[in-house]
Parts: sequence; C-alpha cells; structure tokens
Amino acid sequence: MGAARIAKPSHGSNLSCYISDVYAKMLLNPSYKYWLLVLGAPVNLIVLLYYGLHRKNDIYHALMNETRSELLEAGYLTQLLEETQEQLLRKQQFFKQHVSAERTERQAKHIAEAKFKETLFEETNRKLQSGGQQRLSYAATFAKLIENPVFLLLSILPGLLMYLLIGLYSNPYVKYVFERLIMSLFVILGVSVLVFTILYLSPMNPAANILGETATEEQIANFNRIYGLDQSYLSQLWSNIKGIASFDLGKSFSGNEQVTATIARKFPITFTLTVISLLLSMLIAIPVGIISATRRNSLWDYTFMFIALIGLSIPSFWQGLIFILNFSIKLHWLPATYNPQDWLSIIMPTIVLGTGLSASVARMTRSSTLEVIHEDYILTAKAKGLSKRQVLLRHAVRNAMIPIITVIGLQFGGMLGGSAVTEKVFNISGLGSYIVDKQFIPDIPSIMGGVVYTAITISLINVIIDILYAFLDPRIRTRMKQY
Amino acid sequence: MIQTNLKTSGGYSKAALQRVKRHRTTEYTLAVHTLLTGLLVLAVSALNLFKPYVSDTFLPAMSVLLVISLFHAIALLLVLKFVRRNKRIAPRMAAIAGLLILTSATGNLFALLLGIQLLRRIRGQENPTSAKWEDIWESLTRNVAAMTGLSFIIFLFSISVCSLFTFDYSMATENNYSAILQHPSLAYPLGTDNFGRCLFSRIIFGARTSLIVGLISTAIPVVVGGILGAVSGYYGRRTDNIIMRLLDILYAIPGILLAIAIIAAFGANTVNLILALSIGSIPTYARTMRANVLLVSTYEYVDAARAFGSGDAKIIFKHIVPNSLAPMIVKATLTIGAAVISTSSLSFLGLGVEPHIPEWGNILKLGSTYLETNSYLAIYPGLAIIALVLSFNFLGDGLRDALDPKLS
Repeated sequence: MGAARIAKPSHGSNLSCYISDVYAKMLLNPSYKYWLLVLGAPVNLIVLLYYGLHRKNDIYHALMNETRSELLEAGYLTQLLEETQEQLLRKQQFFKQHVSAERTERQAKHIAEAKFKETLFEETNRKLQSGGQQRLSYAATFAKLIENPVFLLLSILPGLLMYLLIGLYSNPYVKYVFERLIMSLFVILGVSVLVFTILYLSPMNPAANILGETATEEQIANFNRIYGLDQSYLSQLWSNIKGIASFDLGKSFSGNEQVTATIARKFPITFTLTVISLLLSMLIAIPVGIISATRRNSLWDYTFMFIALIGLSIPSFWQGLIFILNFSIKLHWLPATYNPQDWLSIIMPTIVLGTGLSASVARMTRSSTLEVIHEDYILTAKAKGLSKRQVLLRHAVRNAMIPIITVIGLQFGGMLGGSAVTEKVFNISGLGSYIVDKQFIPDIPSIMGGVVYTAITISLINVIIDILYAFLDPRIRTRMKQY
Repeated sequence: MIQTNLKTSGGYSKAALQRVKRHRTTEYTLAVHTLLTGLLVLAVSALNLFKPYVSDTFLPAMSVLLVISLFHAIALLLVLKFVRRNKRIAPRMAAIAGLLILTSATGNLFALLLGIQLLRRIRGQENPTSAKWEDIWESLTRNVAAMTGLSFIIFLFSISVCSLFTFDYSMATENNYSAILQHPSLAYPLGTDNFGRCLFSRIIFGARTSLIVGLISTAIPVVVGGILGAVSGYYGRRTDNIIMRLLDILYAIPGILLAIAIIAAFGANTVNLILALSIGSIPTYARTMRANVLLVSTYEYVDAARAFGSGDAKIIFKHIVPNSLAPMIVKATLTIGAAVISTSSLSFLGLGVEPHIPEWGNILKLGSTYLETNSYLAIYPGLAIIALVLSFNFLGDGLRDALDPKLS
C-alpha cells in the first residue's frame, strides 16, 4: 500500500511497477530477502544472469570514474589528508598521547580515504539524480525485466511462490497475521522439541515401571523396541514431531490406548471447564475492577481489593477441599465429584478454577482504568459535555480493556495448566488429571501429547487475541503500517 | 490499609494520627516490630510447655530468647528517646546497633534491619541514593498492611530458626499410636494426624520447607531471567531476537505443566521441584528486565558512561541493572507467594517435596483424606499457606507503592 504511493515514475503496467517496488523493499529485509530469493529461484536466476551481463556497460561506473578524476584533479584528497592529520595531532596533544609520526600518518591516510570514498559516492549519486538516471541495481534489473509483459507472464508459473510472498508482504495486515502465525509455528515446534528432550533425558525407566521388577532384560528390550525407545534421539524426536503434526502419537505405554484419541476425549472437558470459569470470572471481575477504580479509596474499593488479594492467595486445592467440606459434606447442596450429566456438579470446580483469575483481572482492571482516567482524552470527553457514564463506558473502559485482554489471554494458559490441581480435587477426568496420572510411569507419549497440545491451544488463543488487537486497536494498526 | 481508612474518616482521628505519626520514625516502627516478632516467637514456642515432654535445648533456648526480647524492649525505649527525625544519632547508639545485629541470629530480621538503619543514621550518609533509600523505607514502614505482611514472614523465618532448639522434631515426624486423630487440645494445639503426629509442630517445621523452596525458586529465575533480559535488552537486534524467541517457547508452556513434565522425567524431590518451578518462570522475569533495560539504556548517564569508555559489562552491571531493579523486586515479592502455592499444589498432587518431610502441601494431602471426620487436618495447613502468601502479596503491594508510585 505504502509502496504504491511512493512509487517512482515508471513506464509499463501498474501491476508490474507495484510488484517491482515491493520486490525492492523486500530485498532490504534480511529474513524476507532470503525467502524471496529461494522461493523465486528460477526467476531470480534469469534476473541475475541479465544483471551480470548488463552490469559492465552501466552508466554508473563511468560516472563514478569521471567524478573520481575530477575530485583528484581538484586536489580534494590531499586537502582531506592534511586536515585529518592536523585533527589527529591536536587530539593527541589534548589527551597527551605520544604516537609515532608514521602511525599518525597511516591513521590519517586511512581516515582520509574513507572520507574521500564517501564524498565520491555522494557526488556520483547527485550527478545521477540530476541527470534523471538510475544506477543499475539488482532490483532495478528485475523492475526493468518485469515491465515486459511477456516476461511477467512467463515467470508466473516458476515464480508463483515468490509472487504469493510478494502479495503477502505488500498488505500490512496479511503480513502481520502471516508473521504471527509463523512465529507461533516456531514456538509450537520449540515446545515439542523441549518437552521431548526433557522426557528423553529422563533417568526413569518406563519399561521397568510397567513390566514390574520381575521383568527380564529381554522383556524390557522388547518393550523398548515396540515403543521405539531404542532408537537414536533424533529419530525419536522426528517421529514424535511427525506424530504431533499428524495427530497420531501411537499407543500409550500403559492402558493400550491411542494417545491422541484419549486426549481428544479428555481435552473438551478441561476446555469447557476453563472457558466457563473464564467467562464467569470476567463477568465478576471487570465490573468489580471498574467500581474500585471509579470510587478509589472508598470502602468498596478497599473491600473488593482485599477480597481480590485473598483470592490471589488461596491455593485452589484447599479452596476446593473447603467447598467440598461445606457444600457437599455439611450442607449437602452440591455433589462433591464432577459428573457430566449433573450441571450442579460443575459449579464448584468453575468457581475454584476462576478465583485466581478473577482476582488478578479485578486488580488489573482497577489499575488499568485508573491509568486511563487521567489521560487527556478523558478530559476532552468531559469537556465535550458527555455524561459521566458515557465518559466511563465509551472512553475509559474501552481503552482500559486493552491490557486486560492481554492478561486474560495469558492467564488462560495458566488456567489450562492449573486445572490439573482442580481436576484432581473434584475427581474430573480431564486432560490435567490425565497428565498427572501418567507422570508416575512416566508415560512419555501421553505426557508429551498432553503438554504439547495444551501449549498449542494456548499459542493459538494468543495468536487470535493478537490478531484481534491488530484490527481493533488503531494504534497497533498505524504501527503495523509503518514497518 | 487501616491507616488510610482512618485518614479519610473524620478530622479527629486524622489529627490524632498526625500526632502519633510525628513521633513515628522508621526506627521506631522497626523497633516495635522487632520486639513484637520476638515476643510472638517466644509465645508460640512456649506452647510446648503443655506437651508431655520438651526437647533438651528447650529451657536454655527459651531463656536466651527471653533475654533477647528484654534487650529488644530496652532498644525500643532507647530509640523512642534518642532517635529523632532529621537529627543525627549519637555514636553511642552504635553499640546497641551492633548488639541488635547480633540478636538477628535468632532469625528476627527486623533486628538486623533496625541495626543497619541505626548504623546508617549514625554515619550520616547524605548522598542522594541514600536519601532515596530513606524515602522508600519510610513509605514502606508507614504502610500497615505491608509491615504486617513483613512481620508474618519474618516471624515464620524466626520460628523456623528457633524451632531447631525449642521444638522437638520427633513430635512432627515420629508415629505415636497412643494419640491418633486427637482433636485440638492444649498439648496438641491443632490436633494430631492419623499417625499421632502433632499437627502444630508439623506446620511449624513445614514453614521452613515452604519458605526455602519459595525463596530459592524465585531467586533462581530472578537471577537467570534478569541476566538474560539485561543482555537481550542492552545488545538488542540479533541477540535480543534469539534470546527472546527461545524464551517464548518456555513461555508457551503453562508453569505447572512444565513442572509436571520435568518432575515426571527426573523424579519427585525437593531439588527437582525447585528447578522445575524456577525454569518455568524465567521468561516472565526476562521480559520484565528487558523492558526496564530498554528504558534505562536511553538515559543520559548510560551515554555518559559510554563516553568515558566503560566496557559493556561494566555499563550493564553498574549503571543499567541497579537502576532497573525496582520492578524486578516488586515482581519477585509478588511471585514468591505464587511459588509457595505452586510448591504446595505439586506436593498435594504427590509431585513435590518427598512425602516424609512435613511440608504444608504434604500435610494437606494427608489431611484431605480425613475431610469428613477430622477436617481441621486440612483446614489449618491451608490457613498457614494463605497467611504466608497473603503476607508476600501485602509486602509486594507495599513495595510497589514505595518503589514506584506510578505502578500502583
């Protein structure tokens, strides 16, 4: 977009001009340059060939030589040399350094030459510009070639990937989303490698744990062969990464079940639980935070923030136990263990899981709203004569929500992980308690799958939040266009 | 919090408060807390008198504690009489300060803080950093909630040290089948568990583990993450990119799941637990530090240091890091609480501290099986955890207000 606006006057169709502009810009970006050259290798080779042939009779070199002789004739170099030498001597005098004359001269010559080159370069460019000419660079070669419709048409098939990349790069939104996705792909890959490496380095022996102490060495070797544990680190890693990508991690060590099928069965339970408690806690925490911020230092504020601090300090398993003790054992209101058929049984787990999040979101909302309230645009909104309510809801809260959503996104990950404890307390057969149950063996594919798929979910959710931001927050939008 | 409440409610209490405040120097507050913490330790230790038997070192240790508390009372009176705001303190007080620092061997860190504070005042440092330090101390000691939190933490630390002499470890670990599942009484203030072990002693000994694990598993990521963040923020560009992208990977795994994976691989014991918790929180600290370093690096004094020809290492560790520590300290204090919760949660799942060590999570795990009949076994250790975590949160909030008013 931006590229098109600053496009230099050039002939040929609009499209080719546009493409060559983006192409030139991409060449300046080190990581994109590499991919651009690799993806469009056939096209780039032809351009390179053309460039190599025409480089010699380029006007730039002739112009440069001309300028050089002009400058030398004017005695510019000797003048520079003298100046530099004097400067160096003065500097040495000031710092009371003693440097041999020969060394000073060498230094001066070095500096003077660098300066001369700089001037030469500037001068040549100035001449080129005043003559309305362009230096024949690689990018310019490409631009010149692509102006030719025949070349463009012929290059579409071999350079399809390259043109796709160019199209991607030219739109800041698409580029941002693309970069964000690539990054999370990298993170997911990294997570898989990290978790596998941790489990690979384990000194535990799953075979001995499963087969029992009486297992013979032959049985253990057989077990290791079946599950591929006798292979090298790299081949195991590769098969695991492949397994994660294709949703097929093989069978678990114990229980003889498909790991991914089990995870697919257990994951929705954890996810539902987390989402419900996330919504519940947002529903409570955000209004609480706003009330606290608008009535700062009031009794409400102190009470709410004290409760929030206690909420942050309660270990969830203890809270769960106390809930069970009071509401199930003593009062018989709610069932103590989770049962998918009974909606009453989901109340306690969601409250327990959501307590920590509510507390931190309420605190975050309060501080974020307080920060926003003192901004100039709030003053403007008040000066416009908007009612207090409108100022608060339309201007303050809307802006304060930005950091809050980030916190919620980050906390969501913590909740997915932290649900392991809550699930254990309420006897819910979700992913968290599955991982905990499997860790005693340790059942490598199950733990690997559980942890990595949770991390993938978290990464994806954070990507979605980031992308939503990019579209909702005008500040991010402008920053996106700038780079 | 109470204090600020008072401030808003009515003129009379405000005036009264002002009168008290005028006399209340930082030293006075510290001296009061020193005495109170000492007395609390003494009182809690004295509960052992109701036990069938006490440890051999009980009587000498108690008399030493009593003498120390008397000395602390004298120190409080001296501080009240001789220490005035904005006045230099007579060098005679140096002896008192020295003795106070010696008495902090009981774990009463307030005595240490008071001693150092007195020595600083006696020396009369007047450079600007010291003045800033003074301000921070003053606003922290005026914050009642923060001081309450700090008191409880120091009390737990002190009782962890003193319990070596005043409590009998066998009460907490050895089975006593004649006193199984007894309800709270004077001999067993919080009752006994299914092996007849005194729950009160177990919680006191558990404080040690919880504090140590919480502190170490916060200190390690602060140092490692801090260094990584500082390097990545200072050098920028490629270094920054590589370090932060690698830390992003760690950041994507929820802390508890990473800890479970590490413990699954290397076994459940205290060292692995500390490592597992530490590794998971490195990225947060690195991010905080990096953001600060990015900000501080743009200040003039960094340019000045560079113009003087200081090396990169010197600039980072002498000029940038000390000036970007404040948010790190606040964050660390606030996350020690989270580390304590994680420790006990993992112990509760059977993935943390070895089951035979009395640790709060372990005690709770045991107690949770007797929820219906002997619910106190699960309630009291949980209350201990909440009190400790709440104290760290109070302290962290207070530190944040004191160090950086902007952050609150």
